[in-house]
Amino acid sequence: MAAAKLTPNAVTATLAGDTNLKPVVQVVDLRSIAVNGPPGAGPRFRAIISDGVATTQALFAAQLCDLARSGLVRRGAIVQLLDYIVNDLSRLVTKLSSICSGFKAMVILNMEVLVPECEIIGNPVLPPESGASNSSSVRANQFNGAPASTAGSTLSTVTRPTDNAPVIQRSMPGNSSNMVPRPSYNAQVFQPTVQPSYRPAPNYRNHGTIMKNDAPARIIPISVLNPYQGRWAIKARVTAKGEIRRYHNAKGDGKVFSFDLLDFDGGEIRATCFNALVDRFYEAVEVGKVYVVSKGSLKAAKKDYNHLNNEWEIFLESQSTIELCPDENSSIPAQRFSFTSIDKIEDSENNAIVDVIGVVTSVNPSTTIQRKNGMETQKRTITLKDMSGRSVEVTMWGDFCNREGLQLQEMVECGAFPVLAVKAGRVNDYSGKSVGTISSSQLLINPDLAEAHSLRQWFDCGGRDASTQSISRDFTPAASRNEIRKTVAQIKDDGLGMGDKPDWVTVKATVIFFKTDSFCYTACPNMIGDRQCNKKVTKSDSGNWLCDKCNQEFPECDYRYLLQLLIQDHSGTAWATAFQEPGQELLGCSARELYMFKENEDPRYTDVLLQGLHREYLLRLKVKEETYGDERRVKNTVAKVDRVDPSAESKFLLDHISRLTGSY
Amino acid sequence: MDTSSPAALVNAQILNMFVGRRVRTVVQVQRNEGGFLVGQSTDGHQLTIKSSVDVPVSHFMEVYGIAENSQTIRAEVCTDFGPDFGEILCAYGVCLCPFYHSTVN
Repeated sequence: MAAAKLTPNAVTATLAGDTNLKPVVQVVDLRSIAVNGPPGAGPRFRAIISDGVATTQALFAAQLCDLARSGLVRRGAIVQLLDYIVNDLSRLVTKLSSICSGFKAMVILNMEVLVPECEIIGNPVLPPESGASNSSSVRANQFNGAPASTAGSTLSTVTRPTDNAPVIQRSMPGNSSNMVPRPSYNAQVFQPTVQPSYRPAPNYRNHGTIMKNDAPARIIPISVLNPYQGRWAIKARVTAKGEIRRYHNAKGDGKVFSFDLLDFDGGEIRATCFNALVDRFYEAVEVGKVYVVSKGSLKAAKKDYNHLNNEWEIFLESQSTIELCPDENSSIPAQRFSFTSIDKIEDSENNAIVDVIGVVTSVNPSTTIQRKNGMETQKRTITLKDMSGRSVEVTMWGDFCNREGLQLQEMVECGAFPVLAVKAGRVNDYSGKSVGTISSSQLLINPDLAEAHSLRQWFDCGGRDASTQSISRDFTPAASRNEIRKTVAQIKDDGLGMGDKPDWVTVKATVIFFKTDSFCYTACPNMIGDRQCNKKVTKSDSGNWLCDKCNQEFPECDYRYLLQLLIQDHSGTAWATAFQEPGQELLGCSARELYMFKENEDPRYTDVLLQGLHREYLLRLKVKEETYGDERRVKNTVAKVDRVDPSAESKFLLDHISRLTGSY
Repeated sequence: MDTSSPAALVNAQILNMFVGRRVRTVVQVQRNEGGFLVGQSTDGHQLTIKSSVDVPVSHFMEVYGIAENSQTIRAEVCTDFGPDFGEILCAYGVCLCPFYHSTVN
């Protein structure tokens, strides 16, 4: 009978994890092991199987032990392994210094006997007698992933004297020296492709990488870093490098230095080091370069100083490593921003940290400010404008004034309005809302970002002339009331005034009609404090005017406008009521005069009315629904009348247009 | 100018917002067909004015009356502004301002 052909490299492959191989192997040794298990379990069998070249220990599963016991499988048998599992016990071997970090125990679950007996095929290297002393197990040449022959329940009985390893719960150690490697076998062959543990390069063999925690860790994204992670390494670009700060505390003097890292995923984290490490790392770290950082400790980030979006911070220690990656330049972004548009900054709370981008429209010169601790520092303000139609004042402190500030000033003076991106600016609500730089702020002029390009385009195509409201100055009344422009039709259509509070809107409309029936009323002239009473007075029998509120009579009353007018714009018409001040503005003469004209049938009466007609105004209206008896009607009151200023109005319209087109 | 009751100043396009209400507009008379005139509105559309007043063709006329439908106004007052009132520039409306105020005031 021809010897069955053994699957070449079967041992290697199966130990490496190939469970579909179903190799044909030969049993070169078979012995039984007494078991401390449930009674009647019978002895378990341990075999050494070979593929002609290499051998490995394997344990028969319980169901196969009959085969062995009955002698169907014996030494020299050629079998095909149908089902087997390979257990990696390396995790259990943590403290052993002399055992390499991979332990494979093969358990055969199912096999088919092809040839019951055959002479040994090939030249399998038999493992030395179990119990071989430890020192011999430490060989100068390669250690292979010695498969442990025992696993599971046979442990307690198979206690071979182990290597130097102190405590060992499983008795594999003796077998660790099983595999006498052939020259052709290389430790690298057993490099696990699926295991996370690292098979050390040969020269680490004795020292045990696990023991020393030396093995290089895999690169993980910054966003998954946490203090409970074992070995970690991150590959990131330095986005910000702080200055060395010296401090003094109870322990004495010290210095601290930190820098920010950004990785491929966009995760950011700050790395900090103290004292001696500052010297080591300060020179090594440069902004913009990519480094692999590992073996630092992770602690909770101090949110007061650290504005990055990460709850942890890396603290570098003496064993930390920072290696430069010279070739990694494009996959990791240079900086990461999350911009807030200026109108949203208006709603931000004080001291919030924001990123903002905008076009610089004005740069003020530097001024010297005295700080609380007596030191002087530079301050410079610039105005940023963006597509939201708002502008904000950005205050630069310290070095920023001289570096970026000067550059910006020159650019603005030449007429080139640059785009400025601010990272980590603090919102200040001193006068309106403004943004100030802090020590960890970064200013980027004309950055190569999508937002910058779209801002540039918006600005050049009309954004430049768009009118913007500043959120930074103490508001002009119009701005503070959030001037909302509406058309006349929108007053009805938008259902203004229906809420609890009145709505204030501005409409640009023409007065087309004044109601002349009662355009004024007789008002009480009495002064209450600094205001006039103004309540309607009725004529009493004595010819005097009686005020109910003041309970007084006056010979002369005041005339105040109560003018009802019809306003029209392209969308429709609406009635509005104007009181004294707006009325006077609209008609150009006082209510008393007009009243006299009417009384005397003065032709100037109609003149005044006609003059007031057909003029376009910006009317500030208070819209409120009011109840008249059973009827609820929306009433518009003219609070302020403004002439239309052509240039301001044009700016407004242009801004409106650019906003409409910008939103597409 | 009659100020007794409000009238919205309209052109042909917004006339239909004011159907049944009093409106005021200026048209340039194009045809006079006894009983009613056809005029060109400030935005270049045709409007029918029911008026008894005879206004010669190509004169501008101010109409003050009730809008019957979106193309017709029943005039109460018609004022002839003469031929030199302004220009109706195709669909872009009449350039009224300088003349209008001088006539009215």
